[in-house]
Amino acid sequence: MNNGKAIEVQDLHRHFGDIKAVQGVSFDVRQGEIFSLLGPNGAGKSTTISMLSCLLQPNAGDALVMGHSITRRPMEVKKAIGVVPQEIALYPDLTARENLAFWGKMYGLRGKTLGRRIDQVLEIIGLVEQQKRPAGKFSGGMKRRLNIGIALLHKPQVIIMDEPTVGIDPQSRRHILDNVKELNRQGMTVLYTTHYMEEAAELSDHIAIMDQGQIVASGTHDELVKIVGKQDRVELTINTESERVLPAWQAIDGVHKATATDSIITLLVDESDRVLPRLFEAAIEAKVHITSVTIQEPNLEAVFLHLTGRALRDG
Amino acid sequence: MRILDITLKDLSQIVRDWKISLFLVVMPFMFTLFFSATSAPAEADARLPVGVVNHDPDGVLSARLIETFEGSQAIRIVSLKEAEESQVDSLIEKETYAAIVIIPEGYSRQLLAGEDIRPEVIAISDRPAGHSAVTAIRGDIKRVLSAAKGAQLSAEVADSRQPFAGDAARQAYLEEGITLANAAWDNPPISTEMKAATRIDTERSQSTNPAAQSSPGMIVMFAVFGLITSATVLVAERKSQALQRMLTTPVHRWEIIAGHLLAMALVTFLQQAVLVGLGQFLLGVDYLSAPVGILLVMAALALWTASLGLLISALVKGEEQVIIWAMIAMFLFSALGGAWFPLEFAGKAFSTIGHLTPTAWAMDGFQNIVLRGGGNGSVLMPVGILMAYAAAFFGLAVWRFRFE
Repeated sequence: MNNGKAIEVQDLHRHFGDIKAVQGVSFDVRQGEIFSLLGPNGAGKSTTISMLSCLLQPNAGDALVMGHSITRRPMEVKKAIGVVPQEIALYPDLTARENLAFWGKMYGLRGKTLGRRIDQVLEIIGLVEQQKRPAGKFSGGMKRRLNIGIALLHKPQVIIMDEPTVGIDPQSRRHILDNVKELNRQGMTVLYTTHYMEEAAELSDHIAIMDQGQIVASGTHDELVKIVGKQDRVELTINTESERVLPAWQAIDGVHKATATDSIITLLVDESDRVLPRLFEAAIEAKVHITSVTIQEPNLEAVFLHLTGRALRDG
Repeated sequence: MRILDITLKDLSQIVRDWKISLFLVVMPFMFTLFFSATSAPAEADARLPVGVVNHDPDGVLSARLIETFEGSQAIRIVSLKEAEESQVDSLIEKETYAAIVIIPEGYSRQLLAGEDIRPEVIAISDRPAGHSAVTAIRGDIKRVLSAAKGAQLSAEVADSRQPFAGDAARQAYLEEGITLANAAWDNPPISTEMKAATRIDTERSQSTNPAAQSSPGMIVMFAVFGLITSATVLVAERKSQALQRMLTTPVHRWEIIAGHLLAMALVTFLQQAVLVGLGQFLLGVDYLSAPVGILLVMAALALWTASLGLLISALVKGEEQVIIWAMIAMFLFSALGGAWFPLEFAGKAFSTIGHLTPTAWAMDGFQNIVLRGGGNGSVLMPVGILMAYAAAFFGLAVWRFRFE
C-alpha cells in the first residue's frame, strides 16, 4: 500500500500572506524509523508538521500518512498519528490522570481499555506516583512528559513530535530522549523536529535539514557529515565586535565559511592545526583579543553552516 | 459522545473552583434580596390597561361584556371619553393602552336579533402586551357571545312550545337566559380555551411582590455575567493550545464548538434553575404557575447566553478580556432589557429600544408568567425571539471562532 513508508511528503507548499513558510518540501519516512527535521527557528519545521498533523491545509502538494492523504482523508490520518505539540497543551487544573482520560476519549478510547491504557502511559512517562496531582503543579519536565503521554494513548502508528525538549532541564531531556528511543524500539515511527543538533544526531535514522522553508540536505547522519568533508568547525570568542577581524580571517587560505553572532565567530576550516596560528596572527594585527577557542570535528552544525552560511543557533 | 466529553470536561473545570458558586448563585440571590428590599411594593395594578369605548350603554350584552372585562385578571379596563376615540391609534402606538375595544351602537339589539356585529379591537399584536391583551379580550367576547347564543336558542325553543305573550316577555326571558348562561361560565365544567393572560393569584398577588421584578431581573443579569466562568475556560484552552491540539485528534470542529456551547448553556440553565427555585420557595415568586413556560424561557435564555459566551470567547485574546466584555454585556443588556426596572415604566422610546435586546424578551417571558399571570402560551413569542437571537449570535460566533 505504501511500500513500507509511514510518511510520504510530496512537494508541500504553505504561505502566510507574502511569507513563504514552506516551499516545495518532499521527503519520505520509512515505517519504524526515527526521522528528524533539523533547522533553526523559522525554518518551516513546525509548519511542515502542522500540515502533516492536519492542522494546516497545504497551499499546494500533498502528503500520505500511513497511506492516507492529509488533504483528502484527514480523519484517517488523525487516527494514525499522535501529535506532541511544542506547547504544553494540557489542562493545568486537571490531574495528570484526568488529562490523560480526557484526551483518551478524544481518541475514542472508553471504559476499561482507556483505564488500562492510562496506566500503561503513566508508566512509560514515569508519572505513576504523580497521577493525582494537578498538571499545573508539575515541573516543566513533568509537563513535557505528560504532553508526550497524551499522544501515546491510542497507540498511534506514527508519532509526530515538535521540539519536545524545549525549555527543560537536562535530566528531563534525557528521560524524553530515552522514551523516544524506547517507543521506536517498540515499532513506532517517529517524526521529530528539533534545532538541537545533538538530539538529531543521537536519535535519528534519517535527518532532513531545513532552512527558509526548504530541505537543503537529507540523509543519514554520516551521509550528511560527508558533505563538509574534513572541514573542522572552529568557534572563536573575541573581546570586541566581529567586524574588526572577520574580513582578515575570511581572507586566510583554508577558511571556507564564516558566520558571526556578536563576539562569537564560527568558521569552517581545512586542517585547523595549520589555520589556527594564522587566525591568531591576524587577530594580533587587528589588535583583537581571542578569549576562547573551540574546535569541533565535522558535525551537523558544520553541515548547516556549510550549506546555508549561517549557524543553527542564528535562527 | 465526544461532544459530551468536552462538555463534561468544561463543567468539571468550572465547578472545581468553589468560588464560582459566588458568581453563579450567591451574588444574584443577594442582589435579588437587595433590589426587592429597596423597591417599594408595587401597588399599581399589573393587569394590562385596555381602553373601552361603549356606544351601546344601555345594551344588555354590552353591559355583560364590560362586566366580564372588569372581572378579567389579565386586563384592566379604562372607559375612554368620546374625545379620546379620535386618538385611538395614537394611544395604542404610545402604549398608553395595550388594546382598545370599541362596542358599536346597537350591539346588543343586533346581536340578539341574530345579526353579525362585533366589537372592534385595536392593538399592535406583535407587541407582547398587545398580543396578551387581544388574547384575553377575545376570550371574554366569546364568553358573552356564547351566553347570548345560548339564551337565544333557549328562547326559540320556549317560543315554539308556548309563544311569548309579547316582546317584553321575550326580552325578559332573553335577559334572564343571558344572566344564567353568563353565570354558568363562572364555574365551567371544562375549559378548552387558551388564554395568554388569565389569572392573578389574589391570595398572593405577584403585583405586590417586589421580587416578582427583581428575581427574574437578577436571573437574566447574572445569566449574562455567569458566562464568564465557561468562556474563561474556553479562552484558557485556546491560549494553552489545547484547543488546537484537539484538531489533531479525530474530532470534528463542529463537535468541539458544540461541546463548549453545551457546557456554557448547561451552566446558565443550572444557575437559573437554582435561582428560580430560590425565588419560588424563599421569595414567593410564582414561577411554577406555568412550569413548562418557565422551562422554555430558561432554555432559550441559556442558549442565547451560551452563544454570547462563545462569541466573546471567539473575539477576545485573554481571560481578563472575557471579564471586561462579559461585564459590558451584562450592564448593557440588563439596563436596556428591563432587568433592573420594568420597561413599561421607562416610556415608549426606552421600551422600544430595550426590546432590541434579547434580555428584554427574556424578561417578558418571565414576567408574562410571574407578574402578568400568563400561561405557558404567553412565553411563545418571547422564547421564539430569544431563540432567533441565539441563532444569530451563534452564527457570528462560529464565523469568528478561532482555534489558535
